[in-house]
Amino acid sequence: MKKSFIFLALSFLLAGSLNAAGTDHRTMLMKDMRTMLDAMEEIQRGGLYSSTEDMKAGVKKLQGTLKTLESEEIKFILPKDQVYAYKFAQKTAHMLRLYSDDMIVSIEAGRMDDALEDYSQLLKQCTSCHIRIRNW
Amino acid sequence: MDRRNFLKVVAASATVMAVSPSMIRGNLYAADGMLFKAYEKVQLVDAAGNPIKASALAKEVTYIFNYPHASTPCMLINLPNPTSKDIELTSEGGEKYVWKSGVGKERSVVAYVAICTHQMTHPTPNDSFISYVPTTKKTMAYDKSGVIVCSSHLSAFDAGAGAKVLGGAATQPLNSVVLEHAADDTLWAVGILGSDKFQDYFKSFRPELKEFYGGPAEAKKLVSISAKTVKLTEYSKEIIQY
Repeated sequence: MKKSFIFLALSFLLAGSLNAAGTDHRTMLMKDMRTMLDAMEEIQRGGLYSSTEDMKAGVKKLQGTLKTLESEEIKFILPKDQVYAYKFAQKTAHMLRLYSDDMIVSIEAGRMDDALEDYSQLLKQCTSCHIRIRNW
Repeated sequence: MDRRNFLKVVAASATVMAVSPSMIRGNLYAADGMLFKAYEKVQLVDAAGNPIKASALAKEVTYIFNYPHASTPCMLINLPNPTSKDIELTSEGGEKYVWKSGVGKERSVVAYVAICTHQMTHPTPNDSFISYVPTTKKTMAYDKSGVIVCSSHLSAFDAGAGAKVLGGAATQPLNSVVLEHAADDTLWAVGILGSDKFQDYFKSFRPELKEFYGGPAEAKKLVSISAKTVKLTEYSKEIIQY
């Protein structure tokens, strides 16, 4: 009886911690997504107000969120029916890094047309992933 | 040049053009509804430079070659069955054009530009989300296999009928590579059929093309003489297929 009680208690504890881990990952994703939105707004504001500093700050903020999306952790974050598509999410993160890196290079070189084109492509990557992963 | 010689030259030129449209460059909107852009005629060769023979192609394997530009990937597939003939297709701009058929003895060899017409997903040396799904495998994009699938947003294209859209978000067929099958069984690419998105592709993937090809000029360079053709599994490190 005592053994059964201990086993039951341990099971509840394990299930609770797994659930908490899942919630933690989802909370982290939601936080990252809000940061990404802020970053995109900052880049756009920089572009519209001709502030390269705002654009660079936005890129830095955006790149700070990519680590989770690029890693295997993404599997714990995606909606259950979309976990299989984690490679797609990772590819999107890779493209976000590529375009944001290029934006910095373009700004430094004074090629603002290219920098703003990079912004368009960043936005396209965001919507592309949302269409797929969130069944938009 | 007298009148008689002039007429001879005109007649000879017209005959050449009629026999081989690849002799001329530029868009052709022929009376039969065909939308075709001719590029330099190039021979498909393997990694060692030997000509690819149509009958030697493995069935249902995706091969990749770059054409008509150095950075625009195309897929070559030997399908399990003969393809359909004279398929009328429609571009997203509403233009009608005709895809004739596959080539080879069994009319089963086809080639399409491997750039998805939805959001331009394409194979890179790192990965590929677009490929042919053999009849022995299943796909989430369509209820039958033996189709071309873009696994980014699950568009499916009919490999045996001009890559017309079967399902998903794509709004026009993949562009076709017009192939010529020579008497010695070799394969030649001569042009592109359909409304291409090459300029959008160069603009959208500028940083990526810089990484893989060195810059926009190199990426846009037109392929000349021959096009190296390898299996997709050799072209991309990772194949993602849903």
